[in-house]
Amino acid sequence: MKFLSSFLTKFASLIIGFLLLGCVKDVDLDQRDDIILSPDLQIDLLIYDIDQTHFKDTVTGNTKTRISDTVRLEFLDDSYIQDDLTSVEFYFRHINTFPREINSKVRFLSEVNREQFAVNYTIKPGADGNPVTTEQYELIEEDRINLVRRSIKMVVELEVQPDTTAFEGELDFASKGFFSFEF
Amino acid sequence: MKMWRLICLFLFVCSTVVAQNKPLLFNVDDLPQTLMSNPGAQINFTGHIGIPLFSQIHLSAGSTGANLYDIFADDGTNINTRIQETMRSMDARDYFALNQQLEIISLGWKLDDRNYLSMGIYQEMDLFAYFPKGPAILVNEGNNDYLNEPFHFDDVSFTGEIMTVYHLGINHKFDRRLTVGARAKLYSGIFNAESTGNTGRFTTYTTPNGRNVYHHEVVDMDVLINTSGFAPLKEEEGMTVEQATAELLSRSYFGGNLGFGLDLGISYILDEQFILSGSVQDLGAVFQRKDVENYRYFGAYETSGLEPLFPDLDENDEAIPYWDIFEDEVDRNLRDQTTNETYTTWRPIKANFAMEYGFGSGFLPCHYLSDKEVRYMNLLGMQLSGVKRPKGFVYALTAYYDRKINENQRFKLTYTLDDYSLTNIGLMYTRTFNKFNVYLAVNNLLAYPNLAKAHSASVQLGMQLVFND
Repeated sequence: MKFLSSFLTKFASLIIGFLLLGCVKDVDLDQRDDIILSPDLQIDLLIYDIDQTHFKDTVTGNTKTRISDTVRLEFLDDSYIQDDLTSVEFYFRHINTFPREINSKVRFLSEVNREQFAVNYTIKPGADGNPVTTEQYELIEEDRINLVRRSIKMVVELEVQPDTTAFEGELDFASKGFFSFEF
Repeated sequence: MKMWRLICLFLFVCSTVVAQNKPLLFNVDDLPQTLMSNPGAQINFTGHIGIPLFSQIHLSAGSTGANLYDIFADDGTNINTRIQETMRSMDARDYFALNQQLEIISLGWKLDDRNYLSMGIYQEMDLFAYFPKGPAILVNEGNNDYLNEPFHFDDVSFTGEIMTVYHLGINHKFDRRLTVGARAKLYSGIFNAESTGNTGRFTTYTTPNGRNVYHHEVVDMDVLINTSGFAPLKEEEGMTVEQATAELLSRSYFGGNLGFGLDLGISYILDEQFILSGSVQDLGAVFQRKDVENYRYFGAYETSGLEPLFPDLDENDEAIPYWDIFEDEVDRNLRDQTTNETYTTWRPIKANFAMEYGFGSGFLPCHYLSDKEVRYMNLLGMQLSGVKRPKGFVYALTAYYDRKINENQRFKLTYTLDDYSLTNIGLMYTRTFNKFNVYLAVNNLLAYPNLAKAHSASVQLGMQLVFND
């Protein structure tokens, strides 16, 4: 019994020793400085579905060869874009039934309308009942990411060459951004 | 027969309510702390006075999903990869728990042959949070790898409270077999934060036949975070740590949000060697009335992007403010509110049920004036315990061997199955020098050589004067 008593006393001392010494092994807590959050976000941007009426001048009734619109993307000015964005891949898709090529220009402008970068491509012609898809990617990596950070407006422009043939059809536009961050 | 009904009722209550707290101190009849987990425990002392602030120091911490090693392993791999893998392996029912108690005052004395009165003050901190898997993965990884999979807002579920508890309990010996007890508690809340019962989900759907590549949808979002005691600290700019501590301490003495609770306990000697015992603790609530602030985020919204209309504008016309229109629409549909509505928090109910078998008769010095009675030197027992948490009960099943070495020494060896581990071995040792008693109880001993790999650890220690005559 005396042995048991002595054993337990020593055992209790050992436990207290364990607690006080706090045995934490095989870990490196300094790694906390290396912790980063790196979300990759897929975000829809602009959409439109237009037809020949959008190319008509509402005053004169004449066909316009160029139409455009501007959308402010205020989130580009937010701190997580300004400080933590590492890359963006833009994706643009047109589905065209107009029987003509259409030049698409997607421009990103600063607050004072200075162009930061633009994505220009030709939308392939389609036909009524035979829509043709044109896809375009634009990858902006770290070396050019400031161009995105300085942008606040996205301008979509469409231009057709003057022609006397019939100009009827539909053009659907989809776009998204694949934003990668490191916080 | 009535007694059997009582026992059956108790078994039923324990099987439905169940609890867990400090299994190593449960049914240790030498220690006054046993009355804190079962006010109806059989006790073997006639008075006690705790050493102020040192009669019980309790700390337990646990994480079912991850341990320190999972994140900070020094094995040459990338910490962010480990975090990602760990988060993916956890689910929304994994939880983190931290409980701390400090007995400030503890005393008790025998009123007569049947009754023992005990009272005291202790401070408690209890934090419990489920792993918010959906929001955590969204923040850490984004939605790219989780298209068409919802991120659930109901994964956000946590409770946290700091309070001072004033208590008064009575232990009443009905007869040789039955002992019952009750403890009334007055809670003085210092700080509370809780967010439970949230709903909603965010999903990014791929839409091959849709208007855009994706469709983003927030459905049925209703997230409510209640806080009390937090707002004044937030508003006081430049408040020093000392000032904040002083402010918090001032609430300890009835200055905060008050609540009431009850512990109930019973023990019954089934026959000479079998003893049944059980208790329910913290049947009570705190009424959060002061310094309350509630944050609510609710609504539903879906979008596939902004839609330019190509209006006929000349150079002097203003462009359509698509973004402002979008933001207004989002603000109308996904709303946030900060209010000051009072709320009630239920304390995490704990319950214990134990059955033990005694053997090896006790031999004691002749104290014919004392009721002190050591029935058996060895006890083998099973204890089922649990705590009510927001998503259900957290259970633990403990097998124990409780050995009285002699009049002044005792140890209890436990093996516990719980959510944290299958190898939880605990040890309690108590020793009394004349009337001065010290005890130490440690759970999950096998983990102590390297706590980094442990999913839980718990320790209780204290010192007090215990009287036997």
